[in-house]
Amino acid sequence: MAHPRFTGGKVLGTGIGLRVPHYDHILGEKPTVGWFEIISENYMVRGGRPLAVLDAILDQYEVVQHGVGLYPGSSGGLDMDHLRRLKDLIKRTRTPWISDHLCWGSVDGRMSHDLLPLPYTFEAARKTAGNLRIAQDFLEIPLAVENVSSYAEFNDDEMTEWQFLAEVTEAADVGILLDVNNIYVSSVNHGFDPLEYVDFIPAERVAQIHIAGHSRYQRFIIDTHDHPVIDPVWRLYARAIERCGPTATLLEWDSSIPSFEEVWTEAKKSEDWRRWLAGEEKGGACVEA
Amino acid sequence: MSRLEQVQREFFKALLLPLRGSSRNSTELAPSGEGHAPEFFRIADEIIKPGPELGAAERLELYHRQYWFRILDSLAEDFPVLRRMAGEEEFWKLIEDYLIERPSRSFTLRHLGEAFADHIATSPWLDEMRRGWFSAVARIEYAFMKCFECAQSALPEPEDLADSVIELQEHVQLLGLPYPADLCWQWTDFEPAAAMAPQLVHIAVWREPSGRSRMERLEAGEVPLLWMLQPGIRLDVMFDQLPEPAPSEDDVTRWFAKWQGYRWLGVRGREGSQELDRGIGWEGMDRMSSQAVSMID
Repeated sequence: MAHPRFTGGKVLGTGIGLRVPHYDHILGEKPTVGWFEIISENYMVRGGRPLAVLDAILDQYEVVQHGVGLYPGSSGGLDMDHLRRLKDLIKRTRTPWISDHLCWGSVDGRMSHDLLPLPYTFEAARKTAGNLRIAQDFLEIPLAVENVSSYAEFNDDEMTEWQFLAEVTEAADVGILLDVNNIYVSSVNHGFDPLEYVDFIPAERVAQIHIAGHSRYQRFIIDTHDHPVIDPVWRLYARAIERCGPTATLLEWDSSIPSFEEVWTEAKKSEDWRRWLAGEEKGGACVEA
Repeated sequence: MSRLEQVQREFFKALLLPLRGSSRNSTELAPSGEGHAPEFFRIADEIIKPGPELGAAERLELYHRQYWFRILDSLAEDFPVLRRMAGEEEFWKLIEDYLIERPSRSFTLRHLGEAFADHIATSPWLDEMRRGWFSAVARIEYAFMKCFECAQSALPEPEDLADSVIELQEHVQLLGLPYPADLCWQWTDFEPAAAMAPQLVHIAVWREPSGRSRMERLEAGEVPLLWMLQPGIRLDVMFDQLPEPAPSEDDVTRWFAKWQGYRWLGVRGREGSQELDRGIGWEGMDRMSSQAVSMID
């Protein structure tokens, strides 16, 4: 189980991403949900409807912030204005921890709006860890970094992705948001054993787990978050919680989004796996594992 | 320059290269390589390791295409009226040209269009009339985006009008345009513009209490007063400094009644709250996402 310093001492179960097609259902029906994850950048505004929606959600639910714009791997360093806006939002949401991606995404203030892969070098690990330390100190809240799904590797690589993730998080002393779908996607795109990845990560740092679906093309997989979770990803999830213990788990479904009930039902399958691993029962979804 | 910086600069340089040839509408890189500049292949070979299924250039191409599809689609979403006026071919050429010249500088895709109107105003391949009209339309459409996310100050109570600094709400955008571009919202195409001469118009774009955005023409006389209110001013000071020729008392009373009715006025330094009307839809709420929506066919 994650050390409490990576989760702010908060124990959360199953959550789903807060997405627009579900706003009416959530605000009207107030369904029972463990917690919602929000994309921070959608609410880093000065006013208007985004904050009005967020405040209504915060009245009813626990919210955890997940970012897409910190870019801790950018060689040019962090954007302090971005950190200030993030901190303002943290005060509003009272999120127990905050997460973003182990990636880079900008050069000279020009933004890619993508989660670009890092070369797995010792230099990149040092730079990224330094940025993460600054961010965590400034935000005054536990910070977790998520492994991204990637479509490219670099000629400069000096270690595997899982070694890089461990190197960075140890050096920065931050938590991990372990995305088991991303591990699967990258394992197919780069040809590695995803179990080796899950078996290597420092389990006590895993504050949260992401599960999701993806799109398979003829020669590669794209992490589209538009399908249910496939069995091989569930098996990776099972191995992850076997190592990490019961961990806050979130289903990402960002495109071709089905009904709230369908998304929530898919997310709750993770509870079957957690119960099964705890020896409580054999959930139907888990029998084949 | 560190090696990490060098690699990231090269990678980014490749992303910014324009979409070319078959890369616009294919999920596979053209076998001949004709879809890209030699620079793209040079960068791919230098920094990207070939994978089990994809070559170095094909791997880089996945990111290149995601970059372009994401920003093109996002910008297009914010300028639907300009798109209708310019027509498909001219519109996509305009936004691609703009994004090549001016990559995003904000953490959010909502701000992609912040310099689009200025870019159109100097576009070398539009005639003067189109430059003027299209730029004015883009200014209005970006004002809609801006007012969507602006702060809201508290609405003034009667006693505030005498004692407090009154300001124009941040979400009220005042535009002075050389063409009556607001008419384009009623047109199905650009045809009617050919018969119209330039005409200075003043327009306000604002956010209603419901959260929906609106625009309306302003009378020439109310504009100077709104400019005075924009940074915040005590009303007694404002009435001492009215511009010449001074508006009539009837006009000022009528304008203030309208501004109050539209909730354009706020109390400086006092935070207000946005009502949540669930009946108007959720357009524009969720621009940033955590994955590769742009790659979906």
